[in-house]
Amino acid sequence: MSGITRDTLMAFVDGHLDPTGRTEVEAFLAANPEVAAEVALLQRQNDAIRTLYAPAGAEPIPVRLSVDRIAHSGRRRNNRFLTQAAAAVVLVGVGLAGGWLLRGNADTPGIADRLIADAVSAHTVYVLEKRHAVEVGGDEEEHLSSWLSNRLQTNLAMPDLTASGLTFLGGRLLPAPDVPGGKAAQLMYEDANGERLTLYITPRPGIDAPRTELASLGADTALFWSDDMLTCTITAPYSADKLEAIASAVFAQLNPSGDGYEI
Amino acid sequence: MADILHEIEDAVPALRRYARALTRDVDRADDLVQDCLERAISRRRLFRPTGQVRPWLFTILVNLYRNSLRGQRRSGDTIDLSSIPEPAVPPAQPGHLALAELARAIDTLPPEQKEALLLVTLEGLAYKEAADILAIPLGTLMSRLGRARATLKTLTGAPAEPHLRTVK
Repeated sequence: MSGITRDTLMAFVDGHLDPTGRTEVEAFLAANPEVAAEVALLQRQNDAIRTLYAPAGAEPIPVRLSVDRIAHSGRRRNNRFLTQAAAAVVLVGVGLAGGWLLRGNADTPGIADRLIADAVSAHTVYVLEKRHAVEVGGDEEEHLSSWLSNRLQTNLAMPDLTASGLTFLGGRLLPAPDVPGGKAAQLMYEDANGERLTLYITPRPGIDAPRTELASLGADTALFWSDDMLTCTITAPYSADKLEAIASAVFAQLNPSGDGYEI
Repeated sequence: MADILHEIEDAVPALRRYARALTRDVDRADDLVQDCLERAISRRRLFRPTGQVRPWLFTILVNLYRNSLRGQRRSGDTIDLSSIPEPAVPPAQPGHLALAELARAIDTLPPEQKEALLLVTLEGLAYKEAADILAIPLGTLMSRLGRARATLKTLTGAPAEPHLRTVK
């Protein structure tokens, strides 16, 4: 009975052996009472751990852990930096917002928060423009795609969001001091009610950024996302749920190879 | 989409149980679970999990737990072992192992061993599943389990029996 290792005995204790394996181990234990005592001890350990903690899984669930409540309540994020960013956009004026925030904060905000602030600033400025909302119109999609791809030094497709009820208006190039290359692309879409949604896309920042952030800023919701190629912040006066539904369409088109199963 | 919410909801008792065993603190455990649920729910459309919802939730929970430990180290906060209440369950049934003693012994395990041991024993997960949740190779999981169990045996006063190691 030389095939029985420590791992086999653990698998026996944890109930992960098939019937054949179990029979083998049982025969081995019958012939080796000292090992059998050891195995019995591990089984008692397992039982004791379950006795200690299994009851916690049978307790009534407190309201704050109600999935329904979390899914339908307002967004959890109440980021101090982003709240200030929103206030700055409204009160100080967009052009000053970035600098004011960086001066006003003792702890330097993370790259994601800075990019979200930049994206929301740009969103606030350009969605109000009726005639000059974009630099290059959506009818010149191919030109726009190659122009912005060149400037950002990455391959940038213009996501088609007609399935989400959004018409592509076009895009523009913007400064982005926080990322290498210093440039961002803003793409703008409009829904049937005239509400506008923007994508603010930059190359990868080169330092660690969170995969996603979600923020509510006044009437607008911003959703930030980064992968190993680029970052994208989606801003629109939509609910977080609606924005996330659109986001999955955007991300599938920006990075068709991404599987998205990261946290 | 309603389906994934149901699946998340079904996992809440297990997440609470696991978090409670990791932290041995009702409020801290529920804080972790709440963070975990908020994260999962806010990302449920963005990251359609290609696999099972439950392991995905456990991965989020473990990451949050690890982050919370890092935060604790920074702020110099420690867990006061003597403040941990005795378990409400009378320590009668599992042989001569005193439950309170075992609970304290589990607390002394390195976090990575504790995470592995509890996923396998308390949650009853397959080794592969536990290894995936912890993002470690199967062999690493097995050695963490082995070490955790050996430590518990020593700390709970069971006589040292070298036989397991000699079995080949």
